Amino acid sequence: MKLQRKKLKASVPSFAMGDIAFLLLIFFVILARAQDDSHIQWQPARLDKVEMAPAASASVAIDTGSKTYLDGKEISPEEIAAKLSAVLGDAPAGQRHVFLKVDREAKAAVFEPVIAAISEAGGDLIHILEPEEQPAQK
Amino acid sequence: MKLKRGKMLVDPPECASSDIAFTLIIFFLVCAAVQPETGMSQILPKAEEKSEERQQSKNLEVSITASSIILNGNPLQLPEFTRRIAAELKTKTREQDRIVVVKSAPDTPYPVWIRVSRAIDSAGGILTLELESEKIIQIK
Repeated sequence: MKLQRKKLKASVPSFAMGDIAFLLLIFFVILARAQDDSHIQWQPARLDKVEMAPAASASVAIDTGSKTYLDGKEISPEEIAAKLSAVLGDAPAGQRHVFLKVDREAKAAVFEPVIAAISEAGGDLIHILEPEEQPAQK
Repeated sequence: MKLKRGKMLVDPPECASSDIAFTLIIFFLVCAAVQPETGMSQILPKAEEKSEERQQSKNLEVSITASSIILNGNPLQLPEFTRRIAAELKTKTREQDRIVVVKSAPDTPYPVWIRVSRAIDSAGGILTLELESEKIIQIK
C-alpha cells in the first residue's frame, strides 16, 4: 500500500502585499530622485509675463554656486553641448525642449556659454522663470 | 444612580498601516509631479564667435552691462530700450536684418539679461550672442 505524500502549500501571505508595494515604491522614488534636479539649490529669476512650459527632454541648471548641471548631474560648461546632443538624439524640432534653470544671482560669464552650448546642441531653449508678484488690487 | 458608559476603544488594524502609508505616498507623489513649470521660450541661432564676416553695419548691436543697456552706442534704460528696439525693428522686413547681436559684460546679472532678451524677442528681433573667444597672442 502506498502512502500519499502530503502536498505542501507555499503561498505569499496576502497581508504582506502592502509592505511589498511600499518597499517597491520607496525604491522607485529614490531611483527617480537620483535622476531629477530637485536637489539643486537655485532661485529662479522673475519676469512679469511667463508661459506654461511644455515637457522637456533635458534640463540644464546653474546653481547658487555657479556650478552647471545636466539632468541633475554636475557637468562642466564645455561638456554640455556634446552630452546634450547625445540626450536629444534625433528628436524632431518641437520635441527638443531644454529647460534652463539659472540662479538669479548668476552672471553672464557663467550663463552665456551655457546658452550657447544649448543652442549648439540644437535644443529649443526654455528659460524657467517665476511670475512676478502682482501688487494687490484694492 | 448614574451608570457610567464604558469607553469603546477602536484601534485601526495594524496590518493596514502599510496600506495607509502606501496611499499617502501615492498622494504626495502625484501632488509633487503635477506642479507645472513656468518660463519663457527663446529661439537662438547658433552662437557666433567674433568674426569679420558678420555684417556689422547692418545688424543692431546691443551691449548689456550690470547698470546699462547700450543700443548701437546709445546708453538707455529698459523702458526706453524696449521702445527704441521695437521702432528700429519695425522698419526691417528681411530676416537677416532682424538679427540683434547681443554682447554682455561678464558681470551682467541674469535678470537684466532676460529682460533685455525678452524686449528683443517681443520686438521681433533674432537674438544672437557674441561671445568673446580667447586668443593667445605671441609677442616676439
